[in-house]
Amino acid sequence: MNNRLRELREAKGWSQGELGEQLGVSRQTVNAIETGKYDPSLPLAFRIAKLFRKSIESIFDPGE
Amino acid sequence: MKPSNRIAYSRKRYRAGVFALMAVYLALMLLAWPAVRGGHGLATRVVLAVLPALPVIGVIWLMVWRVLHADELEQRLHMIALSVASGVVAAASLVGGFLGAAGVLVRGDLLIWVFPALCVVYGLARWLAARRYGVAGCE
Repeated sequence: MNNRLRELREAKGWSQGELGEQLGVSRQTVNAIETGKYDPSLPLAFRIAKLFRKSIESIFDPGE
Repeated sequence: MKPSNRIAYSRKRYRAGVFALMAVYLALMLLAWPAVRGGHGLATRVVLAVLPALPVIGVIWLMVWRVLHADELEQRLHMIALSVASGVVAAASLVGGFLGAAGVLVRGDLLIWVFPALCVVYGLARWLAARRYGVAGCE
């Protein structure tokens, strides 16, 4: 699944660790999501969307 | 406490706990275990024989605690590693059991190797799963 997490994080000027801190996950988890190696759970996707004030589908693209 | 600090704290606490319990285990194996065969009375021998298992049970509890306090990707890695380790050790135990029943393998200490084997396969499987998800490090 493609996502815009890195782009959104960098626009805020946050490091992966800082973003992970706000989401309650490790830096490695943020990195795995950004690189598309791990798809977050629905609750985590909602937390990401809420943090960036965007809808889930504007951040994550299933790439069908 | 911030969530990320909680994750880091749980890692630190886990490592410190495992280190302390394994030190106790080592001490018991060096001091109590040699006395098992020479112990007087069944009760004394049972206590001395079971004593080294207590810190290992403590380590298992810490592992459970560590998994419960991990984030979702870490929990997935633990689950994959545990599944692989359970499968491999179950298969090996079955083969060992059949060989034992057939009288080919006659070793009374075979069960002692189940937990170490589980840990080794678990560690290897977790490392491989972590690589797949681009997560460095192995605990």
